[in-house]
Amino acid sequence: MAQETAQPAPVAPPAPPAIPRPRGRPWAIVLWLAALVVIYVYGWQITNINVGDLITKAYLVKPLVRDLLRPDVLTWAPRLQSVEVPFSFTAPAPAPPPAQPVAPAPASGPRLTLSTATARPGDPLIVRGEGFAPNRPGTIIWRDQSGSSAKAAEFGTDGAGRFEISLTVPDMIGEQHTLFAQVTLEGRTLRPSNTLNLVFFRIIETIFLALMGTTMGVFFAVPLSFLGAKNLMARSAAAKVVYYVTRTILNILRSIEPLIMAVVFAVWVGIGPFAGVLALGLHSIASLGKLYSEQIESIETGPIEAITATGASALQVIRYAVVPQIVPPFIAFTIYRWDINVRASTIIGFVGGGGVGFLLNQYINLFQWQAAATAVWGITLVVAVMDYFSAAVRERVI
Amino acid sequence: MAGAAVRVEHLTKVFPDGTRALDDVSFEVRPGDFLVIIGLSGSGKSTLMRCINRLIEPTSGKIFLDDVEVTALRPKELRALRRQIGMIFQQFNLVKRSSVLTNVLSGRLGYVPPGWAMTNYFPRDLRRRAMENLTRVGIPEKAHNRADALSGGQQQRVGIARALMQEPRLILADEPVASLDPATSHSVLRHVEDLNRNDGITVLCSLHFLSLARRYGTRIIALKGGRVVFTGLPADIDEARFKAIYGEEAVEVEIA
Repeated sequence: MAQETAQPAPVAPPAPPAIPRPRGRPWAIVLWLAALVVIYVYGWQITNINVGDLITKAYLVKPLVRDLLRPDVLTWAPRLQSVEVPFSFTAPAPAPPPAQPVAPAPASGPRLTLSTATARPGDPLIVRGEGFAPNRPGTIIWRDQSGSSAKAAEFGTDGAGRFEISLTVPDMIGEQHTLFAQVTLEGRTLRPSNTLNLVFFRIIETIFLALMGTTMGVFFAVPLSFLGAKNLMARSAAAKVVYYVTRTILNILRSIEPLIMAVVFAVWVGIGPFAGVLALGLHSIASLGKLYSEQIESIETGPIEAITATGASALQVIRYAVVPQIVPPFIAFTIYRWDINVRASTIIGFVGGGGVGFLLNQYINLFQWQAAATAVWGITLVVAVMDYFSAAVRERVI
Repeated sequence: MAGAAVRVEHLTKVFPDGTRALDDVSFEVRPGDFLVIIGLSGSGKSTLMRCINRLIEPTSGKIFLDDVEVTALRPKELRALRRQIGMIFQQFNLVKRSSVLTNVLSGRLGYVPPGWAMTNYFPRDLRRRAMENLTRVGIPEKAHNRADALSGGQQQRVGIARALMQEPRLILADEPVASLDPATSHSVLRHVEDLNRNDGITVLCSLHFLSLARRYGTRIIALKGGRVVFTGLPADIDEARFKAIYGEEAVEVEIA
């Protein structure tokens, strides 16, 4: 390098100038390759990679995969004829019933009659029904004040659709109860399974859990993002301190996994969706705060200058030169965060954060693979829809 | 409306880092002039432009628009005065995500009641005038496009339409064609020339190319290192003056 400028002596033959080499010596490249080989050999061993297991142990996973491909979505349910009457352990039911209470059913339909509407546990009770389907089996179901039900008796209707059965009043929780007579009709109907219903409501819960967490994130991230924007906070020493403190807090918050936060909040406010909202919300503050403040930092000053030059007031400058530059990206980031939070809330549910993940965890622990499959497919569907939706919105607003 | 006269007296601007961008600059612009400011990058052209509407606060010196001392105005009076001064920028400075129409209408913000603007409300006659101005610069069909969907020349024409909404008496054009190709440069400058000739608007325009300065300017001032080194007619700039402005090694480049 230096030789290039050196003047060769006139008498000596001119020394050939040193030719610069490209960076990266051949032997260094060989060394790097050797190091890579060592790293990957060690990695292969330490992670117990054994490709053969994938084939020899495939039989273990076969039933599981089969169940996962047959989610519990629909069931054949018996068609039922059902009539209910109130019953009380002490006082008469809220509305003073007649001595022989008659079920509020149309005169032509099935009716249920009790020998008494008030009795103590252990007392005898005679239940009569008429107008039911003839020659069919049925059950008397007793539901107590807490909402839990138990089968109290079984019966069969006669050729005229009547039955009469005596039973002993069971000892159940609360004072006000309900008696159901259910007669099984011929044939059956295809209905959404209980699992599907449960998964459906838990997924709705998950979507809203993610929405509330994201909203909480937005609420705190917007003001923090202004404090964490370098271009706004470079004016004075005090502002710089605020900037660094904000950035540090956001960085620390962001590096804590929402899973860990969910564990902490599940202990704090109890297992359930609220713990999940707090965990996702806290994490969203950090990630949205960073994205927002980077957006504020990348704002163009040209339009601000131009709108100021027209004689606009400070508020008008913000409305016409600043808002159009930051609000659409803010919306895009927020929708994207919601999308991420829906995915995350599934995992959060595993540690007590509520939502569909909580349900999925239960199914897996009970080895109910078909039910688990329903949850897995439900999550997949929702995540795919959210993904599409958030991409479409982002494309429109940015 | 007649164009405004501008008088600059002993204007000096020293930036906080100690850069002396303008050093005792004095000159006058008569109503209806097309004054071209030439000089190397960093010679103070942009700073001078921005001192006139006080986007940059001068360190010392006085600026008059007609008989109004711009440098003495309070913020509210300054905003009212800025309405009379349209400005066109090298980078166009449009709000990229907003529509062309909104960008043009935003030139009127200094006039409308503040509450209207918050909801993006502009009355019918303003919208009609915005369309007229877009028609005047030849792109009425782009009104509902996003500003960043337009080519550079089209964006600059939107910038001119925005300035026109102010009904300006003075237009400050800060290197309006430095980001454009030669053909587009002429098309944009002809629009500015049209405002100068037919509406009588005074124009202060900084340009890089002497050929453009000669073609469009009625008068020229040259800045070097923040000082005025030439004032006169475009035809007066000969080889010797050119080297004095741009340095000994400079060679004039023609733009078609």
